[in-house]
Amino acid sequence: MLDEPIRILIAALICWFNFMIIDLIFKLPERGGVSGATAIAQEVEKGGGKLNGGYMMGNIVSSPDASAGTLLAGCGVYCAGLPGGLFAALLVYIGNRICYDPGYAGTTGCITATFIVYGAVQSGWFAASDFIAGMVIAILTIQGLSSVHASRLIAWLWKIRCRLLRGCT
Amino acid sequence: MNDIVMIASVILILTGMTAAIFNRDPFDKLISLSVLIAGVFPFIVERGFLDVAIAIALIAPLSTIFTLMVCRRVQV
Amino acid sequence: MALEDQVPVVAGVHMIALYICAVIAVYAALRVITERNSMRKLPFLNVVSFAVTGIIALLLPHPLTIAAAAAYFVGSTLESNAIASTWAGGLKRP
Repeated sequence: MLDEPIRILIAALICWFNFMIIDLIFKLPERGGVSGATAIAQEVEKGGGKLNGGYMMGNIVSSPDASAGTLLAGCGVYCAGLPGGLFAALLVYIGNRICYDPGYAGTTGCITATFIVYGAVQSGWFAASDFIAGMVIAILTIQGLSSVHASRLIAWLWKIRCRLLRGCT
Repeated sequence: MNDIVMIASVILILTGMTAAIFNRDPFDKLISLSVLIAGVFPFIVERGFLDVAIAIALIAPLSTIFTLMVCRRVQV
Repeated sequence: MALEDQVPVVAGVHMIALYICAVIAVYAALRVITERNSMRKLPFLNVVSFAVTGIIALLLPHPLTIAAAAAYFVGSTLESNAIASTWAGGLKRP
């Protein structure tokens, strides 16, 4: 087992790629799901960012998506093992339905993150608490540092996803 | 509870309280109040009162929604 | 069931993760109060709720903690959703 700060940084990278790939596949940067997400996106664009990145930040704020699923899967595996992670997926689905969201992205992200975290813990290289701290660091890089640069990064990734997979306008 | 988490929670509570006093806009005041509520949670969970934590987590957003009915912005 | 094997015996083994969550919560709270625009405060508030959810889960490893963490996170998200929707004038007037 490595030292704990190095493990947390590697876990942050794994969590970042997990929730970003699932959010991009489920088309979160395409449009705002509720009117509050659209308002946040317009304010971010007014401050100098890109509109598509603002839509994804607004969607993360206003309904539990794959990032919340990854965090709660880490909490579930830390507290109760594999059944805890699947129970957390059920809770994320209920939370999505409360917030007027279809709930595909959150539930899918929670289930994949459950198996990733459980496999990493079973392999003996990581502890489950590394993934909780890693997810907090990963959400800090998207939402917490600079909304302008984060929205430009997300808009660039969205353009790449449109080129690779069909189905976005 | 260890000291650093306790100090961080106290900083959250004091920050939310001070910002809620000095804000003018009602939306800014509600955002500062939710920072304050976030600082209260570690103290409840650390004692083991998980049912109290669940009850407060469900009551606090409902009270915010009732307050929002008062300060709804008029359509321009 | 091997549930007891996976629950950590001592809660204070992984201290650095707890410290990281606490420091990020304080940083995001300071960013919330220094941001001027009311809508651009909400992503930083989301970071605060992520960090507090992590603190809740790391402080007390017990199976009911998952329900408490999920209830807190969903409640905080619903609060942000209601604030943003009301600010946008999205709630229908009867």
